[in-house]
Amino acid sequence: MINRSTKIIFALIFGINVYAGDVTGKVSFTGAAPKMPKLNMNADKSCKGMHTTRVSSEEVVINKNNTLKNVFIYVKEGAKPTAAPTVPVTLSQKGCQYVPHILGIQVGQPFIIKNDDPTLHNVHSLGKANVQFNVAQPIKGMKLNKKFDKPEVMVKFKCDVHSWMNAYVGVVNNSYFAVSKDDGSFTIKGLPAGSYTLEAWHEKFGTKQIKITVADKSVTANFNYAAK
Amino acid sequence: MIQKIKNFFNFGERLKISIENRNYANYYLVISFILFLATAWAVIDEIITRRPWKDYQIEYQQLLNEKLVAKYDEAISLVDSSYINGLQTDLSATKNILNSEEYQNIFDELNDLQAELIYATREWSFARSKSDAIYYEYNKSLIEGEVNKVAEKKLREIEKEIQNYADSITAVNLRIEEKNKSISEVQNKFTSLTAEIKRAYLEADKLKLKISKVRAQPIEIKQILLDDFERTNFGEVKARVDRCQTCHLGFNEQLMIDAPQPYTTHPLPELLKIHKLEKYGCTTCHRGQGNALTAGFAHGDEDHYWETPLLKKRDVYASCNSCHSNQNALKEAPYFTKAKQVLLEVGCYSCHQIDGYENMEKIGPSLLNVSSKVTPEWTYNWILNPKSYNEHTRMPNPKFTIEEAEAVTSFIINNSKNNSYKSAFPLGFYKGGSVEKGKITFSQVGCKACHVIGDDIKVREARGTQYDIAPELTHVAGKLSPDFIFDWIKNPRHYNPESKMPNLRLSDQEARDVVAYLQTMKENRNPEKHKFNLTDEDKIKFGEKLVKEYGCAGCHNIKGLENEAKVSVNLSNFGRKRVEQMDFGNTPELDKYGKVEFELREGKPYVQHTWEGWVYGKLYNSQLYKTERIPQKMPVFNLGDKEIRMLRMLLMSYRNDKPMEKYQQTYDQRIKDINIGQKLVSNYACISCHILEDAGGYFSSSLEDPAMGPPIITMTGAKVQEPWLNTFLQNPSPVRNWLKVRMPTYKLSENEINDLTKYFLALSKQQLRVRNYKLFEVDKASIVSGKKMFDMLQCLKCHIVGTAVADASSLGPNLELSYSRLKPEWIVDWLKDPQAISPGTMMPGYFPDGQSPLPDMFNGDAKKQMEVIRDHVFLLGKNK
Repeated sequence: MINRSTKIIFALIFGINVYAGDVTGKVSFTGAAPKMPKLNMNADKSCKGMHTTRVSSEEVVINKNNTLKNVFIYVKEGAKPTAAPTVPVTLSQKGCQYVPHILGIQVGQPFIIKNDDPTLHNVHSLGKANVQFNVAQPIKGMKLNKKFDKPEVMVKFKCDVHSWMNAYVGVVNNSYFAVSKDDGSFTIKGLPAGSYTLEAWHEKFGTKQIKITVADKSVTANFNYAAK
Repeated sequence: MIQKIKNFFNFGERLKISIENRNYANYYLVISFILFLATAWAVIDEIITRRPWKDYQIEYQQLLNEKLVAKYDEAISLVDSSYINGLQTDLSATKNILNSEEYQNIFDELNDLQAELIYATREWSFARSKSDAIYYEYNKSLIEGEVNKVAEKKLREIEKEIQNYADSITAVNLRIEEKNKSISEVQNKFTSLTAEIKRAYLEADKLKLKISKVRAQPIEIKQILLDDFERTNFGEVKARVDRCQTCHLGFNEQLMIDAPQPYTTHPLPELLKIHKLEKYGCTTCHRGQGNALTAGFAHGDEDHYWETPLLKKRDVYASCNSCHSNQNALKEAPYFTKAKQVLLEVGCYSCHQIDGYENMEKIGPSLLNVSSKVTPEWTYNWILNPKSYNEHTRMPNPKFTIEEAEAVTSFIINNSKNNSYKSAFPLGFYKGGSVEKGKITFSQVGCKACHVIGDDIKVREARGTQYDIAPELTHVAGKLSPDFIFDWIKNPRHYNPESKMPNLRLSDQEARDVVAYLQTMKENRNPEKHKFNLTDEDKIKFGEKLVKEYGCAGCHNIKGLENEAKVSVNLSNFGRKRVEQMDFGNTPELDKYGKVEFELREGKPYVQHTWEGWVYGKLYNSQLYKTERIPQKMPVFNLGDKEIRMLRMLLMSYRNDKPMEKYQQTYDQRIKDINIGQKLVSNYACISCHILEDAGGYFSSSLEDPAMGPPIITMTGAKVQEPWLNTFLQNPSPVRNWLKVRMPTYKLSENEINDLTKYFLALSKQQLRVRNYKLFEVDKASIVSGKKMFDMLQCLKCHIVGTAVADASSLGPNLELSYSRLKPEWIVDWLKDPQAISPGTMMPGYFPDGQSPLPDMFNGDAKKQMEVIRDHVFLLGKNK
């Protein structure tokens, strides 16, 4: 009987991806949380009317447990492309904000952008590798179907009607990505055994990289950002 | 040994034998052996040594075959085998039916039925004939008044018989139809199954066909004959033969994109599309020896005396000028376009005669009033070394000695002593201002599009040349007085009526703030006070002589030197100058056939003694080849590697051996209009701010959000009404109120405005014609539905109509302007796909892929919807 570690070594040497593991981790934040300005929606009455209290900018969201939300984590180097799922990813325009603010998608995966507001929005993508588009959605419930052709971290979206609206979409060619949640945690599932460079991307605080090796069980990868 | 040979040929003894009896057999043997060897060698040489292309063709076929087979396998693997298996099962089942006895029996039955039908039909017609005969009898009896009862009875019987036969005919026909139906059912199934299987393998089959074609390809010389291509040096018309694709087999085969040379796909397939190989061949662009069949001779690497060796890398763009010398910008050749722009900006034509660059604007500033602008000390230091004040200036260094610089300064200053500006100066005085506000104004209104200041070199980088097209202002306080700058900014044409610097319409306060800011840009050098006698007559005379010799008046307007001829050589045929005609002075030589043409070794330039090496060295330092005996008067330019290579490429293209007229781009009115416009546009540096013909827009790179930069103007001709353009160019009024950058006032002449109008129209493939845009009329219903759509699409979220603010963003032009500004048809073009016309525009597309967001209006007819929106929008400003 070949013992387990030998098997792992073989798997690593020959690149046979018999084993796969999950990468879990947290994005912690040290230092004083920057005070985010309140969005000024006065310009469009219909936007203002959708909120009872004024909404803060989502550029930096610090969770209660001193972790950072909205960090896009993906495998920068080492992963092989995986087939694009047919389940679409949706980006909504709700309350004159893009929801979610940060999201990930695979190359070739269906992408739906919809307007849930009874006001005009325009979906303006500012990709560099991907073809830019700028489409108006004047009617509530309108949907736009798109796909990305090339990996690109990140593609910025803006709305020219409402200058405060923006979102970032991380386009990668595999299924190994995640966005940090309300508790700063993230999970990348089913990463085959091997060595990888993991990169975290944040709108304001930039990128950070760590190297990880996946064997047959879950790996922890924690990121830390400090106040500027 | 020697003895043996002597014996063999019978030397010595043979003379003793009489001529008639001498034996030549051994001589013949040897000679014929030598002849045999020579023949064998000739054959081998001809077939193998001198035909390397055969090996290339064999290798290419193998390579392509491999690729195709791999693709074929892939295509096969992509076919869903379970689906095909299902089809195959069905097909064989159908085949079985086709071959079955039952199916064959149907045909037999059909035959029987046919026979039955013939029988029944025949009997039916016989019965009809019989009935006719009996009827005659019966009818006859009736007329004769005696009813023939027998005939009547027979008639009834026969009618019954007819009816019976008719019935059986119908019955048989029905059965035949039934049989036919079951036959065709099986056959149809067979055909559709076969077709479906064929369709699944369509891609694979195509590849299979291609593979067999490739395998059947004969090994042969492939050549193209270009009739009446050029003239020889003796003026005779000559054809050209190109055999390049004998080895460069994959130039048109997309599969070979990653293959090694000589099989690689042509890197610019879109260029090949407009220059078909059959019409233009290869050497028209690439040069080289078209009919040679070995690389060394074809490319000219081996035959160094071939006059037109292969153009390497981007030098190949030199060939564009062979047929497109009358064009400044070629859409498919941005490198060529940029090179021509560099030439316009560097101004080679100021001293050199170059075909196509006659009557150009002078590129340097006028010196008519210069003594009122700068001090003699500053002028002296500038002339001595312009780069020490401004590293990126276009003014070349004439490398004057101190004495010469003094003389030239004396002449220039004295020559402009009594000038028109002095008496009228100034428009106002500086009187102080805010540095901070001035800095903001300077960045926002557009000064940075042309002038670099301080550390902000983004625009220079975007422009991508080592030289600037306007003076860097980082040390301007050392050059100009505050009052001068104030006067200059307020109206540049005051000091210099021909200035290219436009007026940004700054208020007095804005101008004073900018002056305050510029006053912080202190002199960097510490020029020693160089005192000399400015009024020495001999010095002034000497200065004038130098100014004339060095051709200063080529670039500058100088009083008294308005009609000076060009001081240097004609470059129109420079590309054909031979290296033997070039002098390299004492410059050390680089390997003549190596790849490096120019190199700095410990700061010392080494030059390859080739045409390319000479020109590189000359453009790097025009006085490089100067020796004690050979003076060089060409001033030293400030060119980077990129610009040197571009200009050298253009010099390569200046040749008088152009292809015949039928190969040339016709110089029609449209190209003429575009050409004139491009020179104007270059002169006034429009592309520093605007993107025009896919180039420029450099100012936007200094902005955080490029969408806040000046608009793209390539489509102006299709977009705006000519009278509006005329007014706007004379006296710009803001259209995009949200932009901080301003369209300046240029004081263009009526002719220049006309030329620009024609240029923009030509770009949009339109012609200038008289047209009254106010005659645009529509019916009321159209305006009403237009208004409805306009509201539903919420255009007023961004656009304004007369009022000061829009509902949300105010980032759209005032639509009341449309009536006097836009061409009505443009509005529809624009609505179709704004991004396609103006990439990056904030105006979103409402009709992506021609789909309307409002399916209820006009049954979702996008075209009709856009038309009614146009009707509404265009007429918004009618009564204003």
